[in-house]
Amino acid sequence: MIASMNATAFDRNLIARYDVGAPRYTSYPTAPHFRASFGEAELLRAIKASNGDPIPRDLSAYVHVPFCLSPCFYCGCARIITHDRGKAAAYLTRLHREIELVAARFDRDRVLAQLHFGGGTPNFLDVEQLIELVDSLERHFGFSRDPGREFGIELDPRFCSEDYARQIAAAGVNRVSIGVQDFDPAVQHAVNRVQSVDETAAVMIGARRGGARSINLDLIYGLPRQTPESFAATLEQVIALSPDRIAAYGYAHLPERFKAQRQIDKYELPDAATRLTLLQQTVEMLTAAGYVHIGVDHFALPDDDLARALSNGTLHRNFQGYSTHAACDLVGFGMSAIGHVGDTFSQNAKDLVGYYAALDNGRLPVARGLRLDDDDLVRADAIQQLMCSGDLDVAAFEERHALDFPLYFRESLRQLRALEDDGLVESSPARIRVTPRGRFLLRNIARCFDAYAESPDIRYSRAV
Amino acid sequence: MGEDRVTSGRFARSPIADDGDALRFCSTCAFGAVCCDRGVDKLALNELHCLVEHVGPYRTGEAVFRTGDRFGAIYAVRSGTVKTRVVDLDGRELVLGFHLPGELIGLDAIHPESYPCDAVALEPVEVCRFSFPALSTLATRLPGIQQELFRRMSKDIGGKALLAGDYSSDERLAAFLVLLGRRYAERGFPPGTLHLAMSRGDIANYLRLAAETVSRVLRRFQDQGLIKVDGRELALARPAELYALARPILDR
Repeated sequence: MIASMNATAFDRNLIARYDVGAPRYTSYPTAPHFRASFGEAELLRAIKASNGDPIPRDLSAYVHVPFCLSPCFYCGCARIITHDRGKAAAYLTRLHREIELVAARFDRDRVLAQLHFGGGTPNFLDVEQLIELVDSLERHFGFSRDPGREFGIELDPRFCSEDYARQIAAAGVNRVSIGVQDFDPAVQHAVNRVQSVDETAAVMIGARRGGARSINLDLIYGLPRQTPESFAATLEQVIALSPDRIAAYGYAHLPERFKAQRQIDKYELPDAATRLTLLQQTVEMLTAAGYVHIGVDHFALPDDDLARALSNGTLHRNFQGYSTHAACDLVGFGMSAIGHVGDTFSQNAKDLVGYYAALDNGRLPVARGLRLDDDDLVRADAIQQLMCSGDLDVAAFEERHALDFPLYFRESLRQLRALEDDGLVESSPARIRVTPRGRFLLRNIARCFDAYAESPDIRYSRAV
Repeated sequence: MGEDRVTSGRFARSPIADDGDALRFCSTCAFGAVCCDRGVDKLALNELHCLVEHVGPYRTGEAVFRTGDRFGAIYAVRSGTVKTRVVDLDGRELVLGFHLPGELIGLDAIHPESYPCDAVALEPVEVCRFSFPALSTLATRLPGIQQELFRRMSKDIGGKALLAGDYSSDERLAAFLVLLGRRYAERGFPPGTLHLAMSRGDIANYLRLAAETVSRVLRRFQDQGLIKVDGRELALARPAELYALARPILDR
């Protein structure tokens, strides 16, 4: 395992050199490689095959609520801005229909061990609507009785009362993730998201009262008008709120891909050197405050499940970042939601018209996807090992996949040599280990094992 | 660890028979042993080969033969796994058995002169087709062939009885795993490792249990450290203890 979790060593010059485009590897292959030739029939086949496993995997559900009341300019998510709360009813009708259709395909003993509401803004729905969704999922799938089950939701405190958060948590949602991004009013105005510390604290208090066991705050560095001083103040305020987890994402400015980002004045964005300073002080302040660097952009208090999973080697990576749950089959509900059943990835229609049309005709709204081939599976495993445990045991890997590691990965290992010279990894014939300084650059390390890394027409956000 | 293994990611899962030639049988051939043991001369071997036809590959779910098809040949599995089953008038399936490379299917059609069951590929499957009239003629001249046929038939009948009777779900599953493990080992797999080409539904049906029961028992076996399950791969971690569990059935 990783020798010392907090020994994340920050090296400015080094990190600057690795500030190139790289996927976040919440899946491998990554979503841009999904194909339209994968549809409903392929997903149904994958579900059927997964039901036939001797011990079928538990299920994890992701439910996408695409609506937002107000556009945050940095956002790259699939979302729809509206003030018409009535839109929720039409969407929910389809969501319930989708749950019913999908659940019928999974064997009855396959319970939900994980549930995540994301968006958009899940709290665009009112408490009753949300609880109705939870009930519907429980009725159709059944919930795992494992106390370690993870039921999470993303909440926007600007539109969420303390009581809302309390009721949601009391209904069984035990993890709450709250978007903060930055507490500085100048930055907040530049990104069109004005939100006070008090509003944020109220949601945290409500969630804890309702029984939530883990609260995460999201931050973004690299936003317009951020300075090291202003962001230090935000970090202090965040630490004072003492969330169990903190995610600090690097802002990816891709205005040609995400329309909302065109509202951002690119001359107000911090330059590369400032971005690095922002990241560096984030790491230093959070680790000084006792947070463990889990990997990439995630931090957690040492007694949080995530930090425990890291230290005992049971950490997993999924579309929500990191997770303590082992191989579940992931089912995505709602517009643009991604699923991962057996050896397949699938994604729902990315617009309401396509999503509604499929369900209104009694079909699953799968728009694209991918069946992983043998090579994909081998590389996905290598990437998972490195991004989660930071340690790859060569002999065990060879045994699992019946291959000759140095021969199979000779190109990857050649690329990795440069990273090894920079002290990001240590490799011997027996194992590859990520060093503490390498934990910042896991995306770059994983990229060495990515057969699609050189695809010409896909742009990724910068790794730092 | 040779270079050839690099490309064979599925090496551990699906044994593909190497191709035989006029003088050599496929490594998994059902009749290979007859000839090797008894020193069949090259001419006879050649004759046997003449009546063998390599058929396939069949895709997952495809039938090698169906109930009621006129009997004309017996088949030996070359690669992959075949399920035999019957379907009753209400559409209910009854799984009769699973057949690995080197095993014969269609023997039970000799008397009725039509196949009494379906033989369905559980994964990509290749088979050898032995024309029965030609095989019978050859068997009158090669007693080894005839003996092997009789031996296989009686083994087949014996195997069916194993899972009848009043046994607990633990005993049935333990026996199933031990026996399947033996068959895999005979085929040159690392001892104690199985690839389950059949779904848990098929296993459950074959053992006359509910699918949920199969998984519940396997999960308990895994928690007890008796087996390790990873998707469709299964390792017998403590075979002696499994055997002890299966004893009432196996020692009968």
